[in-house]
Amino acid sequence: MNFKTQRVAYPYFVVALLLFALQLVMGLYIAFNYFYTVPQEVVNVFPFSTARAMHTNLLVLWLLLGFMGATYYTVPEETQSELAWPRVAYAQLILLTGTGVAALVGFFFGWTQGRPLLEIPTTLDVLVVIGALMFLANVAVTIFRARRFTAVQGTLLAGLVFLAAMYLFGMPFYENLAIDWYYWWWVIHLWVEGAWELVTAALMAFMMIQLTGVERKVVEKWLYVELGLFLFTGLAGTGHHYYWIAAPRYWLWVGGIFSALEPLPIAFMLIDTWRSMRHSSRPQPRLTWVYVIGMAVLHFVGAGLFGFAHTLPQINYYTHGSQVTVSHGHLAFFGAYVLLNLSFFYFAIPRLKGFPEGRYDERGGHWGFWLLSSGVVGMSLAMAVAGVLQTYLERVQGQPYIVAQSPIRFWMMIVFLHGFLVLGGALVVIKHLLTLRPAPAPGR
Amino acid sequence: MSQRAAKLIFWVGTLSSLALFLGMTWDTHRSFAALTHADRLDANVVAGKRAFEKYNCNDCHTILGFGAYYAPDLTRAYKRLGEDAIRLRIASPEKVLAGSYRKMPQQHVKPEEIDRLVDFLRWVSDIDNHDWPPQDSATRWKAATRRLIGGAAMSPGAALVAQENCLSCHALGDAGEHRGPRFEYIATRRDAAWITRYLADPEAMTPGAVMPAFGTLSESQRRSVAEFITSLADRSTP
Repeated sequence: MNFKTQRVAYPYFVVALLLFALQLVMGLYIAFNYFYTVPQEVVNVFPFSTARAMHTNLLVLWLLLGFMGATYYTVPEETQSELAWPRVAYAQLILLTGTGVAALVGFFFGWTQGRPLLEIPTTLDVLVVIGALMFLANVAVTIFRARRFTAVQGTLLAGLVFLAAMYLFGMPFYENLAIDWYYWWWVIHLWVEGAWELVTAALMAFMMIQLTGVERKVVEKWLYVELGLFLFTGLAGTGHHYYWIAAPRYWLWVGGIFSALEPLPIAFMLIDTWRSMRHSSRPQPRLTWVYVIGMAVLHFVGAGLFGFAHTLPQINYYTHGSQVTVSHGHLAFFGAYVLLNLSFFYFAIPRLKGFPEGRYDERGGHWGFWLLSSGVVGMSLAMAVAGVLQTYLERVQGQPYIVAQSPIRFWMMIVFLHGFLVLGGALVVIKHLLTLRPAPAPGR
Repeated sequence: MSQRAAKLIFWVGTLSSLALFLGMTWDTHRSFAALTHADRLDANVVAGKRAFEKYNCNDCHTILGFGAYYAPDLTRAYKRLGEDAIRLRIASPEKVLAGSYRKMPQQHVKPEEIDRLVDFLRWVSDIDNHDWPPQDSATRWKAATRRLIGGAAMSPGAALVAQENCLSCHALGDAGEHRGPRFEYIATRRDAAWITRYLADPEAMTPGAVMPAFGTLSESQRRSVAEFITSLADRSTP
């Protein structure tokens, strides 16, 4: 840590990690609902839908708080100046966390906008927008005051503005269901395959420069190519969500072709990360690379390969809206964004705590990573089996939904069991991160 | 590669994809009215959509394939189940799904909201979305029915279906109404013995069922009807 105000990042990381644990508890309850018959009396009070709204909103909230914390860590370093308004950053964290908690309590009492992932009622949406504006203003003012513009922070700021702007498309009430879903995907798809990828690429580039000592010019050059590929495939690739929403037929062509190319930039990122690690001139704790490479690999498998598997319209006609989607969604979010956040936490926290050369005691951390990752991979594979079964029984054979779900219940129990690995691993990671100690002196 | 070339890749890649995407967005907006039959999207349908969101239906069910995957897709629910079956499920899920391994919450939806939800689902069921989902594809329902038509004229079950006027509530192929479930859907869901018993006393099998009892038919007549319906289960295209 070279600048005092970078310290505002830490409470963001702490809140994000606690919400992460809560998200996983909700996930376990959801998986439980899939194979066990929860009694009607319980369903009436706490239905699956409420648990699911909590699970997904917690995910979005903690990932975004993680991104914001990471940004507050990065910007002073990149601008070589203190953050413009550190107090505003704390106020923003309190506002957004408070809004999140209010939304969760509200869901329990049926206060919802009722649109998946965007359930937060309009009143609270306004608070989210205020929080986002506080954040963007803080970052932008810091950058413009310092007058030191780098490709990394340009990308980061562009990604964050893009992210905030897309959120607005999710706020209004749309009368026509097809138009509703059209713009719903401007939030969801243009986030995860657009804005969030920009943020990821920027944070990765920042970490690579710091961790490996590879020349900034080289990193930035590949950053441009990577972003060009991400946006080329990702923007028009939104079309793979428009196959069956009552949009014209040309979306089948455009969505199919562009999204078939979407694994390319992710593969590029994987190769780039690998190469940077090999050329690193600065020794780093082994766990740091376990996370960074783990992220690059699972990002490619979850988002790239699992996405590609059902993105062509000929296949998607049968797999759309089945557990195949669920499998892809879980592995992609984990590989791309959960591991990005955790990688960044492992990078930033030792530096925030002022450990010499950012080195820390790794013991326990490796267990956490492998439990968590093998849990999510196993869970996603079980969901994939469930999805293929559902696709065949319901979509190809034409069995009614509830009949076709029957054999799937077994596989959802396997998902549930893996959920314990995930939760256990996450608790180990959270404890390790929040009680990080300096590396033991050599020879001990 | 030079820095210049890298920047060129970024700008060309981003702007070309963005231009294509925005252009198609504009054109898609011109097509939505026809593809969604926007002329039928009246205040009742909009009120139905609001109720759909108020009760968070979409966090268990999918619609157009989006949402949660915990309950059946609702895109063609109106065509598959019919109006009465939908009403019954919303009004008293605890009764309809008493024997099911998956439950639906009793949310005390007001009667007028149920009417609007039916309006909404009726409108959605007519959306032209390239015949998705496959399990409710009208083309596939009707293919099996057309194949049967030759033999059906001879079947005593088919004659009874005509005599008892079943199609004044149920759908079959291109014919019939959408008050009760479509015959082809019942065929995939139930066996002949179940349908035979149901015909005698629907209320006993599904509390709150709206369908009248056909106790006037003999056991063997009811079995003929049931066998005719279950013969529709095979939806493979010949």
